Amino acid sequence: MRIQDLMRLASQSLFAYRLRSVLTVLGIVIGIAAVVLLTAIGKGIHHFVLNEFSQFGTHLITVVPGKARTLGLSAGVISNVRPLSLADAEALQRLKEVVATVPVVQGNVQVELGRRLRRATVFGVGPRVPEVWRMSVGFGRFLPPDDYRSARPFAVLGARVHKELFPDHLHSLGARIRIGGDPYRVIGVMAPKGQMLGFDLDDTVYLPVGRAMPMFNRESLMEIDLLYRAGADPDEVAQAIKQLLIRRHGHEDFTLITQKQMLDSLDSMLEVLTLGVALLGGISLAVGGVGILTVMTIAVSERIAEIGLLRAIGAERRQILWFFLSEAIVLGGTGGLIGVALGIALVGAVAAVFPALPVNLAWGYAALALVLSLLIGLLAGVLPALRAASLQPLEALRAE
Amino acid sequence: MQRLRTGLTLLAMGIGVVSVVVLTALADSTRRYVVGEFASLGTHLIIVLPGRAETTGGHAPLLGETPRDLTLEDAYALMRSPHIERIAPLVIGSAPVSAAGREREIRLIGSTAELKSIRRLSLAQGRFLPEMDPHQAVPVCVLGKTLRDELFGNRRAVGETLRIGDRRFRIIGVLAEEGHNIGINFDDNVIIPVASALALFDTASLFRIFTEVQSREAIAAAKEDIRTIIKTRHEGEDDVTIIAQDSVVVTFDRIFKTLTRMVASIAGISLAVAGIVIMNVMLISVTQRTAEIGLLKAIGATSGQVRLLFLAEAVWLSLFGAILGSSLGTAAIWVLHTLYPALPLALPGWALAGALMVALVLGIAFGVMPASRAAGLDPVRALARR
Repeated sequence: MRIQDLMRLASQSLFAYRLRSVLTVLGIVIGIAAVVLLTAIGKGIHHFVLNEFSQFGTHLITVVPGKARTLGLSAGVISNVRPLSLADAEALQRLKEVVATVPVVQGNVQVELGRRLRRATVFGVGPRVPEVWRMSVGFGRFLPPDDYRSARPFAVLGARVHKELFPDHLHSLGARIRIGGDPYRVIGVMAPKGQMLGFDLDDTVYLPVGRAMPMFNRESLMEIDLLYRAGADPDEVAQAIKQLLIRRHGHEDFTLITQKQMLDSLDSMLEVLTLGVALLGGISLAVGGVGILTVMTIAVSERIAEIGLLRAIGAERRQILWFFLSEAIVLGGTGGLIGVALGIALVGAVAAVFPALPVNLAWGYAALALVLSLLIGLLAGVLPALRAASLQPLEALRAE
Repeated sequence: MQRLRTGLTLLAMGIGVVSVVVLTALADSTRRYVVGEFASLGTHLIIVLPGRAETTGGHAPLLGETPRDLTLEDAYALMRSPHIERIAPLVIGSAPVSAAGREREIRLIGSTAELKSIRRLSLAQGRFLPEMDPHQAVPVCVLGKTLRDELFGNRRAVGETLRIGDRRFRIIGVLAEEGHNIGINFDDNVIIPVASALALFDTASLFRIFTEVQSREAIAAAKEDIRTIIKTRHEGEDDVTIIAQDSVVVTFDRIFKTLTRMVASIAGISLAVAGIVIMNVMLISVTQRTAEIGLLKAIGATSGQVRLLFLAEAVWLSLFGAILGSSLGTAAIWVLHTLYPALPLALPGWALAGALMVALVLGIAFGVMPASRAAGLDPVRALARR
């Protein structure tokens, strides 16, 4: 029998039992659509989180004091006995592949303009922030490249702080404000950057690190961020940093976090999430498979006479086997195709109705679901088809 | 033949119910585990941390420095509030620790004797930090279990000296294994008196203040007192964040409840698929039993009776499948529970009842159409069919 004939015969018998076939296919459709939709949500979240983290660029290495294990925060950031100093940041700046460094201290300070008060996150940083953190200045300019220890009292405001302190947007550049009690002059306002995982990046003020450290009564940095030349090998850069700091400190009392490493481990964690959701959706698919099995079993028992006739006029066992198998595969495959189409439509609908929910069609999983639906058809068809093929022609004919 | 078909239908419904039951139990026990961990710290705990974020819904300033330190004096000034039972100041940092030639970089906690009762810590050997003036830097320390094992192995640790940074501390106790004490893992820590830690890190600023309130009702009043006291001491500036433990518990409870519901409903999709399978089988059964229906009607069965007959069959199929599924699910949960005794795995009653209810509803909903079809058959034509 040619494959076309086989398919036609299978489709014909499926059409003969229309309602039953539609319901069987529906089971698979629901399962596949669930897998497509759920993996799309999983992948959407995956992309969303990765974007949040990679918005600062991927050629970034962060040095924090203290040895930290895994992704957790090193307690050394809060306080430690072997500090990371401004001199360390300056020394790192001279490394070959390092484009720029930003020494960082962070804190929470009250900002005053006349009688307007606002508590904001203050970053004590160096002048290269726009480059290293990939942020842009809305207007004015960023902190000038003063010497860290004798930096002039200039401040750059985040968009949100600017809006709160200068609601009318007038005369903000050059204005004198008090930050933590000390007078500063506003020289720039950052472009809005939005939130990152709940942290408002615009509710911030940037000060020269040399002035923020005494404000917080600290002598050490919380971290040093380095931007390395695009194309440089991150491992080599990390090695060079490690050697330099060990030479300066005598011990390895710091932790390097390369952005690439962090993104990689985040990536694999989120990969697992998507897989888990896909498996949850797969349960329905399994139930749909049982549905095909049930219907095919019934079909074989109903059509014993037909099988006997086919065998009597010369159909081989193998042909009978393929006949029923292809019927099951057509059921699964049709369900898969419609399911994928429905899933894609649902993803579109979800994206339109809830724009805040990140969805991203996982084509790999959709294709896998389609293959799986064929496979389920095949598996569910095997037993009934084998039963049909093993029938004796005479007994089958007599059954009528 | 009928038996095989019935078995398969039950299997379809069973898979759906098993997955709902097991997944819900897993999600719900995770919730109870996390909430329980928090609640075990006492629900009338208030945590004070330096710094305050203005953006609503934003993070508390977790590690922020502030121009005005939250000092040890601030911490003990809180005792003036009549609602506050006891406090434990907390300083955290990392420091190199060495003993018997082995060095490690570890997390160091500076606190007082009160930390023991507030965090419900227990000791394996020796004793905890002594009751004393918190401003006094006494060179004693208490080790976490993991740290003790790594530095001393099988040897006795209590009584030995530990070098932390450039100072020496005598080990006076070892904590019992805590497992996962949410927030801080005490197993890999060393605890020293708060004044010693402040001196070691050369700082005056506390990282947190744990305060235990007398009763749950007093939490709001205590929060108010803390704010007033700190404000007076900080020249009128309101620069601390105050977090009540019970609000944390409530938040986690809510997050995990949502998660449980989501998992249950995703697994519930498979119940709908199982319902479709039942409907399909029932429809086929009606076609096959046309003659039987004709005969029933011919001997006087009303349409209502025939409808009820087929409806009962559908409900029976789905309900029996659900019972099968829930017993399998319960067995699976029991097996999981024996394998991982740490997780308080138990099936929430609402999940079991819910699965059975849904199965019943599905049986009726998907049985209606085949049943009506059977009821609508004309007896004469049904009998003539064969």
